[in-house]
Amino acid sequence: MRPEEELTSAAATGNTERVKHLLQSGVNGNGVNGFQRTPLQVMMMGSTPVARLLLEHGAVPNVRDCSTGTTPLHDAARTGYLETVRLLVEFHADSQATDNNNCRPVDLAQLNGHQEVVDFLLSI
Amino acid sequence: MGCQSAYAYQAMAQEVQYEPVAQIGGGAYGTVYKARDRESGQFVALKSVRVQTDQDGLPLSTVREVALLKRLEQFDHPNIVKLMDVCASPRTDQETKVTLVFEHVDQDLKTYLEKAPAPGLPAHTIRDLMKQLVNGLEFLHSHRVVHRDLKPENILVTSRGQVKLADFGLARMYSCHMALTPVVVTLWYRSPEVLLQSTYATPVDIWSTGCIFAEMFRRKPLFCGESEADQLGKIFEVIGLPSEEDWPADVTLKRHNFSPQKPLPFPDHVPEICSKGEDLLKKMLSFDPLRRISALNALHHDYMKEED
Repeated sequence: MRPEEELTSAAATGNTERVKHLLQSGVNGNGVNGFQRTPLQVMMMGSTPVARLLLEHGAVPNVRDCSTGTTPLHDAARTGYLETVRLLVEFHADSQATDNNNCRPVDLAQLNGHQEVVDFLLSI
Repeated sequence: MGCQSAYAYQAMAQEVQYEPVAQIGGGAYGTVYKARDRESGQFVALKSVRVQTDQDGLPLSTVREVALLKRLEQFDHPNIVKLMDVCASPRTDQETKVTLVFEHVDQDLKTYLEKAPAPGLPAHTIRDLMKQLVNGLEFLHSHRVVHRDLKPENILVTSRGQVKLADFGLARMYSCHMALTPVVVTLWYRSPEVLLQSTYATPVDIWSTGCIFAEMFRRKPLFCGESEADQLGKIFEVIGLPSEEDWPADVTLKRHNFSPQKPLPFPDHVPEICSKGEDLLKKMLSFDPLRRISALNALHHDYMKEED
């Protein structure tokens, strides 16, 4: 398996130890897998430790899904994981980014009833 | 035949609707992908299994297993992941790919425990997680489904704290393929009767639940064995070596292979556990599967009724 493939899979399964090991051994945190997605785009959204590792190793948060225009902040907001939302914003994720349906992260949080995320995104 | 082509059409539609974004599991038996449902924008888990077919189509065992999963789905149980779609696409004359589309939850219990700040989860959170976990398990067991591989990685936790069990019901579909594949599987949540390759049924899941219950307090696994014998040794260090009469007959590993051990008090291993919790844990970690507490009785145990 290619290292980029391994890193995206480790991020998607929330395997913090593996993500850490791969990043420390020099795997590109912005490399794409066979589906053209970066680790941050496919990570387990509830895994703040994985998100932090990736962001601290220079993963770019403002990357749009090639078919839906979704950013990681959209997905974190839609699924309601506030800590990950905060972290992405701290690392300069664009809270005004729109997906192909013209939705911002706050719109998806609203739609899915994640009030704490809505409040946070409106407060910045 | 009409059914076959309808499935093929569905398969095409499915490939358009669900776009894989990353591989999240797999082996020689099939693959699991995290994918995006283009219609809803949500993530789903695509699980595919390759099954052998003959002139009669899919093997009856597969058809039954899928039918069971669909039947379970109709109950819309809050603590079970949703099965959203099922699809079969013929690959060759002898092989068909069966794909199951499940709801994807972006957090598992392993991650949830990892994130818990020191000194660990509050008692009421552990109780709430346990109630939901046992509730889901009781539902599966009441439909005669044994999970067989319960572990923190397949207990999902939504951002609202809702627990959902995943990866159940596929065990049999996978098992015939898995026997051929050297897949690394964790032994840590395996019950003694599984480790001894004796009989096993619903009590195996209660054992795993007991291990997970202890882990919620400890924030690290209770028994971390490296082989079947090592795993049993670690278990006996805590629950004591079972008596000769409790040892199952006709198993390769004999009781005399293990050193005599007296059971240790659970709070030594599970700090902060209350007395009712300790009682429940003891009943879940009973060596004899027949004396182990059932999911239904666990649900009505005093620990579950306690107020915080």
